[in-house]
This record gives sequence, structure tokens and C-alpha cells, in this order.
Amino acid sequence: MRHGILLGAAFALLGLGLDAQGTSAPEPGAPGGSGLALRAQKILVCSWDGPQVVDEGILLVRDGKIEDVGRARELAVPAGYQVLDVGERWLAPGFVELHCHEAGESLFSVNDLNDLVYLANPEMRASASVEPGNHSLQMGLAGGVTTVLYIPGSGSNIGGQGILLKTAFDTYEEKLVRNPGSMKLAQWGNPEAWAMGVGMAFENWNTRDTLRRGIEYAKRWEAHERGQGPEPERDLMFDVFRDLRKNEIAISTHTQVYQVVLMTLTMVHGEFGLPVFLDHSEIGGWLAAPIAEKMGVAAIVGPRSIDTPTRGFISWARNKHEGFRGLAAGWQELGETQIGFNTDSPIVPEEELHVQAAMGVHYGFVDDELQTLRGLTIIPARTARIDARVGSLERGKDADVLVVDGHPIDPRTTVWTVFVNGKRVYDAGRDGRRW
Amino acid sequence: MVSPLREVRRGLGLLALGLGSCRAPLATEPLRAAPPGTPPEDAGIAIRCGKLLTLDPEARIFDPGMLLLRDGKIAYVGKPIEVPGGYRIVDRPESWAWPGLVDLHSHVQSAGWWDTNDMVKPLNPEFRVRAALDPGEERLRVADAAGVTTLFGIPGSGTSISGFGVLYKTKRDAPYERMILRDPGGMKVAFNYNPQRGGGDLGSTWCGLSWNLENLNDRAANLARREGPADPALENLERVHRKELPVLIHCASAEGVAGSVRMWKDRYDTVCVVSHGDWDGHFAARFMAERGVPLNHGPRLMNFTTLRREEKILGTSKAFVDEGVPNFSLNTDAPVIPEEEFFLQGSMSARLGADPYQMLQALTIHPADSFMIGERVGSLEVGKDADVVLSSGDPLDPRSRVELVFIDGEIQYSRCDDGQVF
Repeated sequence: MRHGILLGAAFALLGLGLDAQGTSAPEPGAPGGSGLALRAQKILVCSWDGPQVVDEGILLVRDGKIEDVGRARELAVPAGYQVLDVGERWLAPGFVELHCHEAGESLFSVNDLNDLVYLANPEMRASASVEPGNHSLQMGLAGGVTTVLYIPGSGSNIGGQGILLKTAFDTYEEKLVRNPGSMKLAQWGNPEAWAMGVGMAFENWNTRDTLRRGIEYAKRWEAHERGQGPEPERDLMFDVFRDLRKNEIAISTHTQVYQVVLMTLTMVHGEFGLPVFLDHSEIGGWLAAPIAEKMGVAAIVGPRSIDTPTRGFISWARNKHEGFRGLAAGWQELGETQIGFNTDSPIVPEEELHVQAAMGVHYGFVDDELQTLRGLTIIPARTARIDARVGSLERGKDADVLVVDGHPIDPRTTVWTVFVNGKRVYDAGRDGRRW
Repeated sequence: MVSPLREVRRGLGLLALGLGSCRAPLATEPLRAAPPGTPPEDAGIAIRCGKLLTLDPEARIFDPGMLLLRDGKIAYVGKPIEVPGGYRIVDRPESWAWPGLVDLHSHVQSAGWWDTNDMVKPLNPEFRVRAALDPGEERLRVADAAGVTTLFGIPGSGTSISGFGVLYKTKRDAPYERMILRDPGGMKVAFNYNPQRGGGDLGSTWCGLSWNLENLNDRAANLARREGPADPALENLERVHRKELPVLIHCASAEGVAGSVRMWKDRYDTVCVVSHGDWDGHFAARFMAERGVPLNHGPRLMNFTTLRREEKILGTSKAFVDEGVPNFSLNTDAPVIPEEEFFLQGSMSARLGADPYQMLQALTIHPADSFMIGERVGSLEVGKDADVVLSSGDPLDPRSRVELVFIDGEIQYSRCDDGQVF
């Protein structure tokens, strides 16, 4: 342990030197720098279907990527690599948040996200309001969140295009993971505020009609690219459907109550064949779990953790009238295997993403095979189609690594160091704790 | 001090978080055959548990531990011993045992916000929550299923003095006389902010609020020095001035905290506990510590203003404890924070820097001691009320599950028999 602290101190000095000189050689592990070997008592790998945990492990980082991971006695550290022994602490993948509304900055932090002139705005881009250095993202980083899907609000049926960002870094270019990162669909339960009289059936029709037009537009381009038609006139309103049809991004869906979740699954995914995932998924939405599982659609639950025992409005608690129904637990019990957690930040502060998983367990979610951590890492990464880059500590992925002093979802656990793209972007010892 | 819980937390493996099991439901548990001549089977209950957190003055922890409950009180606490004849045995070798939690700031005694705040006059020392206590309130059942066993049910903060609250147990379907720990339990004062209704009446500024309170307190203090109650409306306030009943003071900000201490401790020398103390209240923490005034903190546990100024969220629980505020306790202000998430106030304080064991004290013995009920509840000690919680793990860990709750030696909640409430 002392060994680790000493090395850490040396590392901190090195880091400060770099900051002071600005343009000197990149730090070990970062792009262009020498290699970095992180040694830890436990490495939570979180691969999709491979090993989940490596005890007494080593993680090799070079050029911002994970070069290798394995048992310390089996994996040799190449010459010239800086070794950082974190002692009894653990390594975990940086968390991936798929429902973030706070990466811009204006009057109320979130008011650049919802233009409510039309009911469907697939052309609008959250990327227009990204503010590097955003305060909420910095706090999220200190809480272990390294990637966010920053999305428009749910005031209209289709709020626009989300953007996938790293929480670290000072420039848009360095933060960017993918743009568009998703298309935000709000089927019901907020867009009705757009105008008096708009309800569940109208919103359903409006969604259906917009999706149909978007798909027709994308198909014309696909035909042209196959050499089977003229070049269509560019229509910015529907361009995002070309990304959707290629399955490069998915529709992030504000959806809740059983019948609406059912439409997300059977209409958006089943009828239109568009890639989709479920956000919120509360108020009985979990009753659609068997269908979602069959379709391979993920449920990223939150910010609410529970269905409340109210009998009047919400009667879906069924035999649990007088009990709380944990949402993650509900989805899990009915067979959903891809369950993640979100904050809807600022509804729940970005830095409390992992507390959402802890409360999932509090309300009955079974965590015997790292399901909680997977729901914060590989499952959202795969859901957002960025699992080739983030979501687990596997060879070839971005070196987004957390150094933690206990189970990552325990509220009492502290995130001590965060690496993003191999750069040590937050260090509680160096920068001071943020709480 | 090294936190005993910290060591335990390190040991929390990834797979050690399983669900509490229903292997041994109490209702069907075979009774031990007692030797001839032993007392009847209901002599008491013997609990054999894993880790037992006493929260006593020596902070003793037994692993494994044992408790004997008899006549509603704790008859033994310590290492496992031979079970006396006639005791029913609750065998839970993997469960943790800890004292029922004590929340001093709770409004769930009557349905919703109704019946918690009569706001006709600014000063209501004659009001009693007794009149509005609903033993059938569902949130009490949820509270006890989360191990919260003692509540100070109080009126709101809409007026300067809103009345006298009741200290009661979260028993299910029990009549008033079986729920009550002490009635009146203490007085509720709202020192600043909420009582400033701004209707143009006296009390819309801190000057008026203070004059109102001091004018009334001077009368009550004078009465308290004489024999016999002269004013029925001030009967209970007199008892406050005789130090027979404590005062819980709603206040916020440094000047609010300091003002509360000056009035209720320095000027009237009452048994007072400052409640909330949020925003920048922690700047008055050392002043509170010097005067020996306890704090009942929450529902907010952090200072926001430090966020933009210092890029840092300040955990205020730690700030108060570090300055030496005695008997630091936590609250929910339920329903602001649901009563069943009282433990989470401790977890989140620990997340924001406070010591986990001290936060456990802040949920149990500290609120009890600061409110003159430390002889009855707040720790597992011989002679105290048998309010015992068994859980699958550390009480501050959201992943732990409450399995069994005893109040006054009776089972109030059993996860096996009653099902999972959450």
C-alpha cells in the first residue's frame, strides 16, 4: 500500500510538471506518451460475455487505449512502462450515462435543450449547446461518470439528436465520442404540454408518421448508394434516420407506463425496425420486460427507482399494493437481461449515477453477478453502440478507468482517480476531493 | 477513531450481497423443548445473530452476538450464552443486529401535510400533535419495515411555535397508549424562514419573530418560577422552562443557528436541539459546540454555495461533527425524505465525508440522548426498550435488507411473513 502511495506521489509530481510546462511530453498512458501499467488488487473488467473480475491484476495502457489486462503473475509489464500500484484499491470501467441533460450552460442549465415550436424535431442537435468545462460533467467525472449521452428534453415528441461525450477535457473535439449519439423520442408523458388537447393517441400517430417519413427518406438514400436511384434532395430534418437505419445509433426513448413501453417495442422497434432502447421505463413499464428481452432491447431505468404503492393512479404494483416495486427489480424478475441505470441529470445529480444502482439493489434488484456495475458500464455502452470504445476494461478500448476503494456502487466508496483516454483527468489526491 | 464499519465494508465481497433468506420464519420455528419446571414458553425471546452493533458508550460490537428480550426490555446483550429456559430462539447467525432508528424530525403522524400546521396565530404553545396522531397511517408501516422505530412527530414550521409533538413508536395497528414513548415529547419551534409568511403581520421579519418568541417565553419563564399553572395555554411551555421537555428548533443559515442558540440556550437555558441548520449553518458550528447545543441535521446534507465557488460540494454533516457539535443526529423531515430512507441520510453523509460509525450514532443514540430518551431507546443495552432490527448487512448500506424488527420486544415486521415492503 505504501509502495502505491509513493508511486502515486511521484506520479502526481510528474503530472504537475506537465501542467506547468504545457507542451512537454504527454503523460504515460496518454496518446503519444510512454506506456502505463496499473496494478490493483481487483480489476472489474465487465466484458460483455467474458471474464468479469481479475484478482491481483495488471492493466496496460498505451496511447490512450487499453493494451492488455490480466493476472499480474501472467502478464509481463513491457520495458519502459511506468508502473502505478494502487494497492488495495480496485479498478473499474468509467461509467456510461445514457440520460444526461446537463452539458450546456445557460440560464437554467437545461433550457437550451427543448425547443417547443413543433411537435417533432428530429433535425435539432444537442451538439449545438455543448459547453466544454460544464460544471455538472466535472462533478460527474469525480463520481466516476466518464461518458454521457447528452440528449434533448421530452417537451416534444421528437426532441432531436443526442450527442455522446466524454465528461473530461476542455474542447468539444476531444470530448466528442459520436454525433449524433441518438435520436430522442418522447412518446408520452411530457409532450402533451406542447399544446392543449394532444394526448396519447395523437402523439402515437405523430410519432408513427414522423418515423415513416424519416425511413422513406433514408431508404431513398440507401437506394441511391446501391446505384438504384437518383441522388435525393438533402433534407436535414430526416438525415438522422440514415444513421438509425445503419444501426450506428439508437433511438433513446422517454417512455413509461405499460402501454407506451409496449408501443416503443412493438411499433418503433417491431413495426419500423428501428434500433431503440428504453429510458425511464417506470410506472408499470417493467411489465413489458418479456417482450423487450425477446427483442433484445435494453431498459435504462431511472431517475425514479420505484413504482409507488398508490392504488388510484398507478395500479400496476399488482400483488404488492402496499409495497414499493423496485423498477430494476421488476424488469429483472420478468427476464430482462440488459438493465442499466440513469440519472436524467439534473433530476438526479450526475455524480450520483452509481447511487441509482445501489438503490436498485435496495429495492430488490439482484446483484450477484456484477449486474449493477454492468448496468453502469458495458450494458449502456452496448446499448448506445459504443461498446467498441468504452464500457469495459478490455484490450483495444479507450482507457477510461476508475480507481475506487470499494464496491463501485456503494455510496461510501470514493473514486480516487479517473483516467479518460489514458489521461489522468481527475485525482482526488492531486485536485482535492469534490465532496 | 477507526470506524468498525469500515473494516466490514472492505470485506464486502461481490458475492456477499445476497438476499436475506427466509430459511427460518419465526412463526413456524420449532420451539425448544424446555426442561421440566421451566417457565412457560413465552418467557422471552433470545436472538442469536452475527454482528451485533450495540451503539453503547463503549461502542461495543459482538460477532457473533446475542440478545435476550423480556417484558419488552433488553435483558441481556453480549456474546452468545446459554439460552435460559422458556425463551423462544430466533436463530439468525448471518444477520446483523442494531438498535431501532430514532428520527427526531418527522411529520408523517397524520395523513400527508394535512393536520400538521394550523396557521391562524404565530404562537401556538397550546397545540398538541396528540390530537392528530393516526395509528393506521401507512407510512408508519413502511418506516418500521426500514428499521425506524421511534419518531418525534411534530407540527410544521409555518408558525413560530407550532405546538408540542409526540415521541412514539412506529407500531402497527397499535392504539395510542401502546405507541407513545412520551407525550408531549417536546416542543417544535420554527426560528426563521418558514414562519415569515409576509402577510404584513408581526413576524414577517426576524425582528418581529424574535420579539414574539421572547415576549411569550418571558411570560412562561416567570410562570415556571412560581407554583402551579396559571395559564392553561402555557402549561407545556412552562415545562420547557423547567427543563422537563426539550425543544426542537427549525432554523437555517449561520445567523439562524446562532440566534437559536442565543435565545434558547443562552437566554432561557432550555434543553434545546437545533434542527436543519442547513445552508451556511455550519459556520455557526463551533459556536454551537461551545454552548453544548446538539444538532439534528437534514434533510439537506450539503452546502450548494460552495459548489460554484470552490468546485466542491461541502458535506455539512462532516462540517458540524468536525467542529465538535455534541450529539450530532440526522433527520428526514419526512415526508420530505421518505421515512424509510432515514438510513440513507447516514449513507449519503458518509459519502460526503463523514465517518460511517458516527453517522450510525447520528441515527440512533445521539438523537435519543439529545432528546432525553437515551435511557429508553437508541442503543442495545440492558434495561432499554427492546427495539431491535435484524438485517442482512451494514445498516448504512442500501443493499442491506431489513429482515426482522422488534419494538418493545414484539415483532413488528418480518420480511418472511409480511413480504417485502420495498
